Amino acid sequence: MAGAPSAVTDLLQALVDGLLEGGLLALVAVGFTLVWGVLNEINLAHGALVVLAAYLTWELSASAGLNPLLAGLTAIAVVAALGYALQRGLLNLVARAPVLLPLLVTFGAGLLLRDAMVAAFSSDDRTLVTAYSLSAFRVGGVYLPVLRLWSLVLAVTLTTGVALGLRHTRHGMAIRAVGMDRDAARLVGIPVRHVYALTFAAGAALAGAAGAMVAAVGTFSPVSTDVYTLESFVIAVVGGIGNTSGALAGGLALGVLEALAGQYLPGELVSAIAFAVLLLALVLRPQGIVGRARYSARVDR
Amino acid sequence: MHTTFRRRRPTQILPAQLALAGLLAAGGIGGCTSAGGSDAGRGTVLRFGSAVSLTGEMAGEGKLTQDGYKYCQDVVNAHGGVTVGSRHLTLSISYHDDESSPTTSARIVQQFNDEGIKFILGPYGSAATEAVAPVAQRNGQIVADSAGADNTIFEHGYTQVFGVESPASNYAASIIDAIVYNAHRVPRSVAFVSADDSFSQEVARFGVEEARSQGLHVFPLITFPAGSTDLSSVVTRVRAEHPDLLIESGHLVEGIALVSQAAQLGLRVDGIGETVAPTDPGFVGSLGRLADGVISSTQWVDNWPGKGPYFGTAADYAEGFRAAFGFTPAYHPAEASAACLALVLAIEHAGTTDPRRVTAALSQLDVDSFYGRIHFAPNGQDATRTMAVVQIQHGKPVTVWPHGLEQAPLEWPAPRAP
Repeated sequence: MAGAPSAVTDLLQALVDGLLEGGLLALVAVGFTLVWGVLNEINLAHGALVVLAAYLTWELSASAGLNPLLAGLTAIAVVAALGYALQRGLLNLVARAPVLLPLLVTFGAGLLLRDAMVAAFSSDDRTLVTAYSLSAFRVGGVYLPVLRLWSLVLAVTLTTGVALGLRHTRHGMAIRAVGMDRDAARLVGIPVRHVYALTFAAGAALAGAAGAMVAAVGTFSPVSTDVYTLESFVIAVVGGIGNTSGALAGGLALGVLEALAGQYLPGELVSAIAFAVLLLALVLRPQGIVGRARYSARVDR
Repeated sequence: MHTTFRRRRPTQILPAQLALAGLLAAGGIGGCTSAGGSDAGRGTVLRFGSAVSLTGEMAGEGKLTQDGYKYCQDVVNAHGGVTVGSRHLTLSISYHDDESSPTTSARIVQQFNDEGIKFILGPYGSAATEAVAPVAQRNGQIVADSAGADNTIFEHGYTQVFGVESPASNYAASIIDAIVYNAHRVPRSVAFVSADDSFSQEVARFGVEEARSQGLHVFPLITFPAGSTDLSSVVTRVRAEHPDLLIESGHLVEGIALVSQAAQLGLRVDGIGETVAPTDPGFVGSLGRLADGVISSTQWVDNWPGKGPYFGTAADYAEGFRAAFGFTPAYHPAEASAACLALVLAIEHAGTTDPRRVTAALSQLDVDSFYGRIHFAPNGQDATRTMAVVQIQHGKPVTVWPHGLEQAPLEWPAPRAP
């Protein structure tokens, strides 16, 4: 057969698959790490926001007939607005409380959202079929599915955009200032409660973007909420808490590790091996792949 | 405002409490008591219990299972209820969501026992049934198993678990047989991929044996974590092997992911066979035209031969179910209704709700029904039950095997999505 896959092609395909899946994972995690880093909130409702955006995209596109791109953008806007309201109306009330209280509030919000989705959309698995669902570029013997490629491009673009926005825009600098010292930020006139909500809304919008891509490239149901939260948590820690570039690096690392393990090892060992390597990486570099030495002083060697 | 509460003296409370306790003990309040399985049950309601997955990973299949149980309850009650000796008992099924967790399924069954419910309709899936079985055995509860097909469930010596479904050994083997006996160009090689749960691996193991016995070259089994939504590495490995046929053993989520990613990554095979997923309405709903050509085995189709009490024929069952729930039933609701029917008929044959005598009646049960013959081997398994094979053609599952039940010829090589 012409162009028959060889061992090298298989390895390249596994690497490409890993990078593409990693891009999607990074996209899921970048909003989570932003909220954790700036607000010091471990948002356990993050996965629910991802899946909510996936459902909204699916409903607007498959049911209402909206263009998938417009459906995705609408879903992002809705989830961002929900995120703003959640932080402004609820989480700001416990912003100064120990980290466990916001954790519990987001846990409850996540459960509420998940059960509301079960009631509204049922537990059936869904996937969005578009005209380009099956499209793939072929380079040599290696296939690059178009939509997965888009999710990687989107992850890189949004990660870079968020990093640049935090550094060079007025709102971005306000967010960083609040993250560094809330009281000092208030003294210089930054509306802290609004900036908190804005940050959470940005994290939710990124979750929304991830959800829109999840709808297009994967299968989702309310069950997926916990998986996305857990993956975001792992990627945030591995990449470096609060560091959006770290989320990208962590997502790509996890994606490639799982793909290579899936290619060469029995299925039962895929997750175990991937997470064992990540644990090893954390032992060697506790601050994360590109994180600052935020926690290194606490390491007891 | 100052409010004063006056404490009643104990002598005022005691007679009332005693009177109430006496009434409750006599079972006369409200005129409605229940028979959950004890000899003392003299009520008008016969209670079954079921731990079903309404949320979590198995929620889709769990909901279909519950629909089957609900339909059974409605039909039995529409016929006047369950006849136990001279009494006619209204069937009432209690449901608790096991959240797709086998541990929770087992806890719920224990809870049913504490409430006096001795008749259990099985949860969805082999893992949950395996968790429930020892609890029920210990408590003297009877499990009418509708969706736990793993052979190992029936290898532990349980005497009170009765499964109406065909064993796991038939799931992939039936697909192999259907293709070998129907395909114009018989495949020479097959790749098996399987989720890493016990049931899926058992199905794959028997499929491999059947493929080898049919003279096919079988590539080493590839496993993946159950519940995976990214199977690109699995597809890449299969692509490198160039099999004529790919058979996947798993559940709905993995089944959808495999077909979708096989198309994206340019996998070229003559056909794809999958267990469980293609007969779920969500499979075609999610994949659209991409689902066309996929082959699957099924416990039941709506032209299955047989006619029996309460439900009539398979066609009658399908028509009635469709009228009640608004969609055409595949095998999940049918096997659930069949398990419920088996338990109802056994109680009627026993003429009592005593679990020991109902167990004996189930062991001897041999009836024809909309689901075909229902008869249990000494280990509780319906070992003689065969499976039909369907292929998705133009967005609908069409029976292609066995001969006599086929609604259309097998399309082989299977059509590819445009």
